[in-house]
Amino acid sequence: MPKIEIKNRIRRLRFDHDEMTQEELASRAGCTRQTIIALEQGKYVPSITLAFSIARALGVTLEEVFQYEETSR
Amino acid sequence: MAPLQKRALYGLVIGVVWAIAIIVVFMAKGGVNAYTGDPGMRAILVALFIGGLIAYLAILFTLRRKRGQVEATMDERDKVIMGRAPVVQLWAVFISLAIWSIALTEIYWDQGQIPVIFPYLILMSLFIVNVLSQSIGILIGYWRMR
Repeated sequence: MPKIEIKNRIRRLRFDHDEMTQEELASRAGCTRQTIIALEQGKYVPSITLAFSIARALGVTLEEVFQYEETSR
Repeated sequence: MAPLQKRALYGLVIGVVWAIAIIVVFMAKGGVNAYTGDPGMRAILVALFIGGLIAYLAILFTLRRKRGQVEATMDERDKVIMGRAPVVQLWAVFISLAIWSIALTEIYWDQGQIPVIFPYLILMSLFIVNVLSQSIGILIGYWRMR
């Protein structure tokens, strides 16, 4: 059975957006800074709504932020 | 620290202080035997119980009042963590009831009846266990998602 992982480039994209702070991104996406931290550390997979909000806050498409990866165990 | 995590921590502290205060007063005033004949003791215990409940509700109210802030105080991740806390609460309440039932049955087996104070004490303890276990459940959720 393949292992499914949702990876993200939030940290990289924040850096590309004039080093946007986690707090600023959280405020724009409507979540807490702690959730941004958990996302960047790969400890939490967001709902589709939050994923779109984050992509919109960063001005990119969903797939530029989140990547769906299947790896064999 | 997330606002909900902070609230859980305060809830835990209040729950522990609340439980200790009630146990200390109950023991200091003479325990089960004194309860029926001492209305003052009953009043103090009820006041402590209601006071603790109000303190806990005040924390909930404070969290809700902050929702108008620029940064969200509670988001979907917090809700996921909060949604899992009832599992801990359920087990804690179940275990407490089991302990009460077994202890009271064994202690008062020969008398065939239990003092009337115990339903009150069980009620109070379940409220406190509920507050404590919810806080612990939330803190475990954050710890596991750390």
